[in-house]
Amino acid sequence: MVDFCPDDTPQLKAWRGEVRAFLEAELPGGMTFDYDYDEDEAGWDAYLAFWRKVGAKKWIGLTWPEEFGGLGRSAIERWILQEEFAEYAAPSHPIIGMAVAAGLLRHGTHAQRLRHLPGIASGAVQWGEGYSEPGSGSDLASLTTRAHLDGDHWVLNGQKTLGTAAHRAQWMSVLARTDPEAPGHSAISCFLVPLDAPGIQMLPLHNMADGQQNQTFFDNVRLPADSLLGDVNKAWNQIWFGLGGEALDPPGPSPDPYRYRIVRMLRKVMSYCRETRHRGRPLMEDPVVRLQLAELLEGVEAIRTQYYESYSNAVTGITVGPRPIALNLHQAYYKEFWPRFAQTCMEIVGPMAQIQGGRWACLNGELEHYFRGSVSNHAGGTSQLKRMVLATRGLGLPR
Amino acid sequence: MSIDLNFNEQQQLIQNTAREFFQKHCPIDVVRRAEKADEEYPADLWRGMADLGWLGITFPEAYGGLGCSFLDLYALYGELGRSLAPVPHLECVALAGTLVAELGSETQKAEWLPRIAAGEAILTPALMEPDGLYGPDGVTLSARRDGDNFLLNGVKLLVAYAKSADRLVCAARIGTGDGAAGVSLFLVDPKAPGVSLEKTTNMASAPLYAVIFKDVAVPTSDALGEVGGAWPVLDATVMKAAVLQSAMVVGAGEVVLDMTADYARTRVQFGQPIGRHQAVQYLVTDIAIEQNLTRNLALRAAWRIESGRSFLREAALAKACASKAAAAMTFAAHEVHAGIGFMLDYDLQLYTLRAKHWESNLGDRRHCLERAMAEGGDDPLPHFQHA
Repeated sequence: MVDFCPDDTPQLKAWRGEVRAFLEAELPGGMTFDYDYDEDEAGWDAYLAFWRKVGAKKWIGLTWPEEFGGLGRSAIERWILQEEFAEYAAPSHPIIGMAVAAGLLRHGTHAQRLRHLPGIASGAVQWGEGYSEPGSGSDLASLTTRAHLDGDHWVLNGQKTLGTAAHRAQWMSVLARTDPEAPGHSAISCFLVPLDAPGIQMLPLHNMADGQQNQTFFDNVRLPADSLLGDVNKAWNQIWFGLGGEALDPPGPSPDPYRYRIVRMLRKVMSYCRETRHRGRPLMEDPVVRLQLAELLEGVEAIRTQYYESYSNAVTGITVGPRPIALNLHQAYYKEFWPRFAQTCMEIVGPMAQIQGGRWACLNGELEHYFRGSVSNHAGGTSQLKRMVLATRGLGLPR
Repeated sequence: MSIDLNFNEQQQLIQNTAREFFQKHCPIDVVRRAEKADEEYPADLWRGMADLGWLGITFPEAYGGLGCSFLDLYALYGELGRSLAPVPHLECVALAGTLVAELGSETQKAEWLPRIAAGEAILTPALMEPDGLYGPDGVTLSARRDGDNFLLNGVKLLVAYAKSADRLVCAARIGTGDGAAGVSLFLVDPKAPGVSLEKTTNMASAPLYAVIFKDVAVPTSDALGEVGGAWPVLDATVMKAAVLQSAMVVGAGEVVLDMTADYARTRVQFGQPIGRHQAVQYLVTDIAIEQNLTRNLALRAAWRIESGRSFLREAALAKACASKAAAAMTFAAHEVHAGIGFMLDYDLQLYTLRAKHWESNLGDRRHCLERAMAEGGDDPLPHFQHA
């Protein structure tokens, strides 16, 4: 039955109220810190302190079993929590930890879950990603970092790059080749790696939007056997990529504060257009500006409805067409829309949008920063890659 | 159940029944023949739809209808889009008939609704004027009280099926001004003295007419709803129909996507299927993306209508998106098909030429985008969609 209302019972409405009350107490006015695009100590401290408070309520692992630090709550409660966090301008939770948690919940051993999930759930332990390599970006399955068994230990060698905020993490999820003879994704395994292990070195990369990513070097890093997550050689399909990102948000897709920045930025630009007068009238009343804003509104609203579609697909198991269509389609659309959105916002605000801060900056310089961040729409796979997957796996075009 | 984008059992039944019905009774050669036929719509197809109850699908049962909900109707419209069925359902049932059901007196409802439902009467709206405006300011055809009659003077354009119609549901203005106040609706016999029709064929051979009113006397009893106060219901009915028109774009988009993906898989150039080229893959995925955006926005608008929520903003967004998709999907399909798609023998053109009508019908993109902004007032982007 067609329904776009997530909280249709008094219990769920009360749950939304509880989440909102928490945010109003802990985060009045939201938080502008984005870990991908910020690197100041005070920001990081406030950010991590906030997430430890969320963790203390056991809301990070809301849907996980209680023994792993969760509350065993429903998917729709997770949706409502996420929607409130997103609308409230809460900062996004470190995404890699949630991806690792999803992998652990599906494919981890009981001991691995007990070991790692409580730390993620409490907000105490941060995870970095060890996926991309200098020679393996879109074609991730060509990665050359390798691991081999030496007695009862795995020995890890290679180089990872573009690890967002990995320097703030204690652990890293690393993909490595475990059969040098086997091609492509058929010989890739996933390892849970403590970043204080001997043989690991990290060098910073500074991105265009003030964030830090990292190169990580593994030189004969010895890992105990239980560092392997899931089956050997099966990481591709088990952990993340085979699922097209669906596993990022167990138990099903929900609004994420990361993408919701697009909603918040549009609200800010609309406020600016109401408050700013050009030639004696608010910018909002300029028909050209209104049309530009309306086209942004349409795209943002389309993205919001896609969250509902993703959730409906995941929870009801019914999709329009083959499954890879929706996931890759949503990603392709968002990835192409986002930089155009940021560009149009800059055009609407005008030449002063480029000023970085101080009394002459527009929107406190937030749009200028946001524009630089929109150049990172490749993260998680380029739009070209999503289009290719949509065309071949989704629509059956030849590879 | 909360958050579910799937039709319920009844809507699935309507969807499946309609798909089978149109596959059997409206294959593509029926669409082609209708373009050349003298009759404005295939009478047997219309009768078949009447037999299934679809001509009174949302009318109250007391007037020969099925009493179905808006989403039930929406489910039917995806199939009307897929099949390109050349029938006046949008005009006669979703617009004119619904206006009679919403605004009509007992006498008017009893006179027209059972006959529409039975396929025995055609009513069609006469809304647009030469200015091409969609708002109340577009209604300038004058209605002047003259004893027991109103005298209508003015011109209506893009009036579909006017020659077949038993009555036009004509929007007219009483008094001066250009706002909502003063907009009235009248049931007008297109054969009445003073009414003249000029056929204005469009690129899809739609039976469109210019209708010229010269001192047309309409009895006061043929006013539909409150004289001077019809705009809010007319507007809401048109916006609901715009969501149905969007559903047709969604349905037709599925066919255009399948047709284009099939062609890209099978057409061989440079020794391989053209669909292996990423330039072609981008065009095919463009169709899928436009179709998806329209589907989600239209379904959300339909759900808001169904559940009694405010819907004008969401309906405007859906139709804005559908108008763009109608053009963008057929553009991309032609880019992939190239020469063969330009030929009349190939079916793609049937979709392309109708898409052009659908693009502007009941609100073009520019109008709908502005409408969405205006309906949002000070908050064009409300925080929660389920409020």
